[in-house]
Amino acid sequence: MSQMNGASSLVASLEAAGVDVMFGIPGGAILPAYDPIFSSSIRHILVRHEQGAGHAATGYAQVTGRVGVCIATSGPGATNLVTPLADAAMDSVPVVAITGQVPSVAIGTDAFQEADIRGITMPFAKHNYLVTDPADIPRAIAEAFHIASTGRPGPVLVDIAKDALQKMTEFAYPSSVSLKGYKPKLAPDAQSIIDAADLITQSSKPVFYVGGGVIKANASRELLELAQLLGAPVVTTLMARGAFPDSHPLNLGMPGMHGTVAAVTALQKSDLLITLGARFDDRVTGKLSTFAVNAKVIHADVDPAEIGKNRFADVAVLGDLKHSIAALIPAVKAALAKNRPDLTAWLRQMNSLKATYPLGYDVPKDGSLAPQYVIERLGKISGPETIFAAGVGQHQMWASQFVSYENPRTWLNSGGLGTMGYAVPAAMGAKVGAPDSTVWAIDGDGCFQMTNQELTTCALNNIPIKVAIINNESLGMVRQWQTLFYEGRYSNTSLESKRIPNFPMLAEAMGCVGLSCDRPEDVDATIEKAMSINDQPVVVDFRVARDAMVWPMVAAGASNDDILIARETAPDWDSQEL
Amino acid sequence: MAQHTLEVIVENSPGVLARVAGLFSRRAYNIERLSVGPTDNPETSKMDIVVNLDGHALEQVIAQLDKLINVIAIKEIVPNTAQPIVHDTQPDYQN
Ligand SMILES: Cc1ncc(C[n+]2csc(CCOP(=O)(O)OP(=O)(O)O)c2C)c(N)n1
Ligand SMILES: [Mg+2]
Repeated sequence: MSQMNGASSLVASLEAAGVDVMFGIPGGAILPAYDPIFSSSIRHILVRHEQGAGHAATGYAQVTGRVGVCIATSGPGATNLVTPLADAAMDSVPVVAITGQVPSVAIGTDAFQEADIRGITMPFAKHNYLVTDPADIPRAIAEAFHIASTGRPGPVLVDIAKDALQKMTEFAYPSSVSLKGYKPKLAPDAQSIIDAADLITQSSKPVFYVGGGVIKANASRELLELAQLLGAPVVTTLMARGAFPDSHPLNLGMPGMHGTVAAVTALQKSDLLITLGARFDDRVTGKLSTFAVNAKVIHADVDPAEIGKNRFADVAVLGDLKHSIAALIPAVKAALAKNRPDLTAWLRQMNSLKATYPLGYDVPKDGSLAPQYVIERLGKISGPETIFAAGVGQHQMWASQFVSYENPRTWLNSGGLGTMGYAVPAAMGAKVGAPDSTVWAIDGDGCFQMTNQELTTCALNNIPIKVAIINNESLGMVRQWQTLFYEGRYSNTSLESKRIPNFPMLAEAMGCVGLSCDRPEDVDATIEKAMSINDQPVVVDFRVARDAMVWPMVAAGASNDDILIARETAPDWDSQEL
Repeated sequence: MAQHTLEVIVENSPGVLARVAGLFSRRAYNIERLSVGPTDNPETSKMDIVVNLDGHALEQVIAQLDKLINVIAIKEIVPNTAQPIVHDTQPDYQN
């Protein structure tokens, strides 16, 4: 034990928690902490907006699997963290946010820069703390890291009153954390594994419905073994791209609103959904009452509240997925040895759909650039070790569809909250977490204008990310809905971003290299040029056709049975034996 | 729909009532009646929450309540039965 002020106790606690980097901006209430940060071994990256700090912490966490840390002052600093923390909650990302709070005597008086950030984040944070006694700081930090990183990961906020940072205290970091009301389950019950294996051997149309939980649990290897053992098709949700190799013959691609015909249909026609770390989100199920109506459900998840939330589970496998899938492998092996169902007809049907309805796009007849082509080439040229972070919109869906993901933690996006502005700061955090990897942000011209200020942070701190702006001069995804559902009345979706701003100039102004490309024949050379620059961030303004649309599509609230492969075009079901 | 009473043991820490009340409101569940009182253990309090929920919805409320870090144990008092159903994050917890 040693005597120090609360601020030093905070920084010593963060060091003890194993923090190597944090993203933040100082201000009055958190200022005491910035003094010991100055001499700490922890790298502090000074961002340009707290939202950037939050998404950077998320990107760092998604790439490394470790807890991402952001730090801000009271009031506006703290409220600027709300969006990235809500984002981290929706996508189950382990993030710890530290905020300064006004002095404890001022709490509740509408003091300067007072905001009840604990109250504000209560609805979505996995947990949060308001610390007013410096003696509580080490325990709050230890608990925050424990809660953020175990069970179903999520964001935890620790709000610390300024006087608690200033007062003297004894520093002692707890050697272990024990919480009466929080005991996440690691190993699944033996009976649930037996029941699941049993259902699997009774199924002739099983499909692995794989969600982001598999990546969180680092269970990709186990999944590969189990999938190959059973030989059943696999679909990977938007949050699970990379959990199972896209090149694997069993992979049918992404299900959901913009999923492949094969993946959507596999879920729809299945008799058993082997659900691993997925949550039956409405963007996957479409109209719930018509979703996979003939399927039984095995639901493996670490969060008990997900079981049965949207869809009844015939067998619930509660536990950490790494343990659960590892336990399923020998159980399924033994069960199959006794009774191996014949999946050939099912696989033939699914492979026929995959072959008949591959993802595709129209090449614009006027010679302008297809956004999908740009993204496809980015994936091909930069290769399977590259990390991609997408914004939200059409470019996000194309980045999920047209890049082949072979490895977990190489695809980052805002799936649950759909946060425009996620890509640039998340890519920054990813690059900090994986400095030897190439990191590409695939961003929309709309999204990019929300958070591009972090390119200055990247340029100054030697974080050479690459950004591909898919510049369709519009809020493309919203425009697509206006095309389809509002008779082409394009209310407030034109950004005119081929005119203003000048993205390459903007990039140059922030210390990056700015490139531009608007012809298909220049795409490869431009990407290669960007790939050759590694001492500076690079921004490429890909000026693409405005009217491209994301297909396939299941309209919001519609049944997955009504998937369209192009405008007013359903798959030719009659020619498929289903 | 039958009324069910949930007996919820929570950590006696600031903000717990807001966490529980907030959970009900944001998940669109009605609270019929709520009372909070002390237990023999000064570190915990007991909330009696009466809800008009059954089956699946009731299970979800219990599961979501259980996720709150400050919620230690939940007992469901089922009408016309002697024994409460105990939902417990920590089976060995005695209150
Ligand atoms: C913060 C935020 N505001 C609004 C939206 C609604 N929204 C979803 S996609 C989109 C358009 C995004 O435009 P852009 O970044 O250019 O991507 P594109 O769809 O054109 O590829 C909008 C406005 C959102 N998801 N997030
Ligand atoms: Mg756009």
